[in-house]
Amino acid sequence: MKRNGLMLLVAAALLLAAWGGRAPVQASPTLDPGIAAEPALAQGEPVTVQFLTWQDEDSLIALEKMAAAFVASDPQYANVSIEFTAVPFEQLFPTIETAVAAGAEMDLFAADGPDMKHYAYSEAVVSLAPYYTPEELEQWVPQSVEEGSFNGTFYAPPLMQSCSLMFYNQDMTDAAGLEPPQSVEGWTMDEAWDAWLKTTVDDSGDGVPDVWGLRWGQGTWQGDYEHGIMRRSAGPVGSPTYQGVGEDGITFQGYLDTPEAIASFEDYRAWHIGDRAVSPREPIAEIFFNKQAAFYVSPDNAIGTINRLYPDGDFNYGVTGIPYYEDGAQLCHTGSWHVGVSPQTTNLELSVAIAKFFAGPEGSQIWYDTVRQLPARVDMLNTLPEYQEYPQQMFAEGLTAIGIPRIQTPGYTEYQQIFAELAQNVSQGEGVEVAPLVQDAAVQMEQALAKYEGWQEVEPGS
Amino acid sequence: MATVTTAAPSAQQSTATRRIFNWRTRQMLLAFLFILPAIINFTVFRYIPIAASIRASFYEYSLLRGLGDFIGFDAYIRMASDDTFWKSLQVTSLFVLYKVPLQIVLSLALAVFLTRETFGAGIVRSAILTPMVTSVIVASIIWAMMYHSQQGLIQSILGVFGIPRQTFLSDASRALPAVTVMMIWKDLGFSFIILLAGLKAIPATYYEAALVDGANAWEAFRRVTIPLLMPVLMFVVVTQAVFSFQVFVPVYQMTRGGPLDATKVLVYYIYQQGFRFQDMGYASALSVVALIIMIVISYLLMRWLRPQT
Amino acid sequence: MAVAEQHRGAIAPSVRAENDTLELVKRVANLLLRGVLYAIISLIFLVPFIWMIFGSLRRETEIFQYLFPLNWHTFFPIEWTLQHYEDIFGISDAGKRAGLNFGRNLLNSFIVSTGVVISSLVFNTMGAYFFARLKFPKKNWLLAFVLVTLFVPFEVTMVPLYIVVRYLNIQNTYWAMIVPWFASPFVIFALIQYFRDIPYDLDEAALIDGASYLHVLRTIIVPLAVPGLVTVSLLEFQFIWNLFYWPLIVVQDADIQVLQVVISSQTTQEQTFWGRTFAGSALASVPVIVIFLALQRYYVRGVASTGIKG
Repeated sequence: MKRNGLMLLVAAALLLAAWGGRAPVQASPTLDPGIAAEPALAQGEPVTVQFLTWQDEDSLIALEKMAAAFVASDPQYANVSIEFTAVPFEQLFPTIETAVAAGAEMDLFAADGPDMKHYAYSEAVVSLAPYYTPEELEQWVPQSVEEGSFNGTFYAPPLMQSCSLMFYNQDMTDAAGLEPPQSVEGWTMDEAWDAWLKTTVDDSGDGVPDVWGLRWGQGTWQGDYEHGIMRRSAGPVGSPTYQGVGEDGITFQGYLDTPEAIASFEDYRAWHIGDRAVSPREPIAEIFFNKQAAFYVSPDNAIGTINRLYPDGDFNYGVTGIPYYEDGAQLCHTGSWHVGVSPQTTNLELSVAIAKFFAGPEGSQIWYDTVRQLPARVDMLNTLPEYQEYPQQMFAEGLTAIGIPRIQTPGYTEYQQIFAELAQNVSQGEGVEVAPLVQDAAVQMEQALAKYEGWQEVEPGS
Repeated sequence: MATVTTAAPSAQQSTATRRIFNWRTRQMLLAFLFILPAIINFTVFRYIPIAASIRASFYEYSLLRGLGDFIGFDAYIRMASDDTFWKSLQVTSLFVLYKVPLQIVLSLALAVFLTRETFGAGIVRSAILTPMVTSVIVASIIWAMMYHSQQGLIQSILGVFGIPRQTFLSDASRALPAVTVMMIWKDLGFSFIILLAGLKAIPATYYEAALVDGANAWEAFRRVTIPLLMPVLMFVVVTQAVFSFQVFVPVYQMTRGGPLDATKVLVYYIYQQGFRFQDMGYASALSVVALIIMIVISYLLMRWLRPQT
Repeated sequence: MAVAEQHRGAIAPSVRAENDTLELVKRVANLLLRGVLYAIISLIFLVPFIWMIFGSLRRETEIFQYLFPLNWHTFFPIEWTLQHYEDIFGISDAGKRAGLNFGRNLLNSFIVSTGVVISSLVFNTMGAYFFARLKFPKKNWLLAFVLVTLFVPFEVTMVPLYIVVRYLNIQNTYWAMIVPWFASPFVIFALIQYFRDIPYDLDEAALIDGASYLHVLRTIIVPLAVPGLVTVSLLEFQFIWNLFYWPLIVVQDADIQVLQVVISSQTTQEQTFWGRTFAGSALASVPVIVIFLALQRYYVRGVASTGIKG
């Protein structure tokens, strides 16, 4: 009697649950190419396009301006409005995943270059190859095209580029009697380390420096973008160490854990722990801008930050090349934001037009005017006056001379998670040997990326 | 809704006296109406997602690629040989074992100490509640700054007592205790305020009776406060154990599970698998196991702390 | 105290004077000890908060510059400024440029948290009453049904929950942030404990007199459980107030976004706007502290009802 009521209730709950359980299946994106919202466009009804992007003040302002310019660019777009949703950088990747899994409204999204392969592999981005001729792809530097491609097919055009060089606080280098060369060539790792040691100052004499020689990389996360440079720099161009990953994009043993790469991790440990330490063991995000570090490896967006924090110009800085291993090669990691068209779009042609416009000459110019970071467009690199002279010129030169994309694999996200943990363990794991940590990380990476085996045979866009 | 109306006739046949039956059923139905909204909520907003997760744990499932092949219990079998999983289970258990007893004892002591209205007690109580109303993200950021091995505020305070600087978050043996201390600081107000309200609910006459019997403060605490507070105490212990078992944000913000996996708690590992390693299927299986562990823990705690009536 | 008074009355006058001085010394010492303890406890809990508040009032480059060694300027700004507050309210040019309007977001947080607390007060009180008082077969199983939902890490069920919310077509609305929380296992569980403290004779008598469940709940249970209801509502309020991940996922429209999300938005890839983060956090914390303070009498033993010294 009583039981019956409860049984019914349980049955109802299970039914509901089963219905809920099906949801992820329904959500897997299906592409309905071409047809989309063109009729609406023709009738002049208002069309709203959803654009998911990362939170950054300047970027958002630039995007709004680009949207306005796009609408004004052609009378047929007069009824188009683009809605930008900005989420904090850390949450962008999970938010895109969630939006895809739930089949949420999303026409366009911004993503970091190396992640684009991941989206392409997962069919979470539409190939734009049909919309660009091979000649048109030459409007960007080759690194950008490579970063926006998957298995040779072009997916997502770039908004800008990047290359990390080494900034220095000139007051501190002057005090230490150092003259960093203002050229991309710069210093070798040994020369640089001497300079970092000279600028690591302990005025209070308590054994802990008040000013550190080095801050390598932005933020407090030891990601691959900057911290993954040293291990690749340890090998000469073309060597497995320099390649960083096997041809298959999923092999790390023999690439991450070569003797010279391990030696670079040993150095990385010594930067943070021991007699020759030049960098605090726990990262301090603002350390260079607060004048507590003499050298800072960063892309050129640091210039904008300095200008914001010191509007009166009371911060003397210079730029030198990124340090490299003499027996290896000098390199900076390239890549920045790309615009992807989501297969979930209901306005395919329109979204493609927006992506093309944003990465085109007009859009890129607006972007650059607000964001002021290294353009990906060849014409702009060649004509913008700032990029013809020091210091910005060095970033343009660095990009073409020593810039290589981060490792190319659909499992970049997984790789980077494990790499960042490795970097943290090496820099903080006092008393734990470096070599086994590196070898273990290589194994972990291979396990995490094993699921991508055969990805190079995947027919793009299929 | 349908379940309610159909429940009545089906139960009808088996009852002898019609009138008593009618009255009883009516009462039962009326009673059920009280819990119905909650049941609807939990079914729609909790059980459907839980069911979806349980289902996903038997599939290859990545958020981007959608549901893939059915793999049965593979994900669960994989756990057995997944060292990181066992490590994370160990870290999580340690965190709960460090945090919950310490937090409960401290908040009980403070609640008893501050229960009476004396001059200044209001300020102290508000001080204890302040961390609770600060978001855990911001609290984590501030504590990471305070713990900083070079320029943390805690180093400055240690310096006043002549103690040299210490590493906390970047030391594999100290990172977890450091996160624990921060979370006790953060959550103390939570258990404190519940215990305060619990103390307030104990009628003063009980204490007067104890005093007449010649009990001193400690005896009164043991014989009156503790037994009468037991339901609330049990509630606080169980919920804190369960919430602590699900700790994620402070670890994500302060140490990212490191160094050397010293703070890689289970939910951090689950998040990593689901959102970073593209394996929501495995993440779901891990949470099913987490769910079972928490059910067992809270069942045992509830039995152990069951209020004597 | 009453006991002590009686004892004293019985003692001879000469001994009494001596005892009085002793009593006075004891009292002063007690008071001092209490004061010192109060100060230490308050400081432990408030120092990070104080540092944050003052951090929101100084220039950004100053915030981390004077941390070590401990000195006056570790806490107190060299250059006081309201810049960060002007920024977050969109008064300053920088704030306008960034499109900040924390006032609006504060209001949103209030709407959402209040909405949840009100609906939760109604439905969870009913639910807790059911579990604490009403007769129902296999009630323990239903309680288990409720409690199990406490045990699932939100990080995993978030995506399916989002799918459910989209299915109901309430995404990107206030409803999406309120409706999933109109009942809470935590609140029901808590209220059950408080309701159990209420003497059974009261409501049983009313029921025998023919009062309805609803009537009993409204006129007997709820009035007697006000401290518990207020306490739990406060906890629920701050829980919803501090939610971050869910509003981030479910709300795209900046006009209805809550405070915690826009505070986190002040951390970008390259940098954190510490001043704005701290100012925003102060803005997010202070109203809740005020609410907790204002409702203090509900969770603190009043002056009238005396307990004994702990």
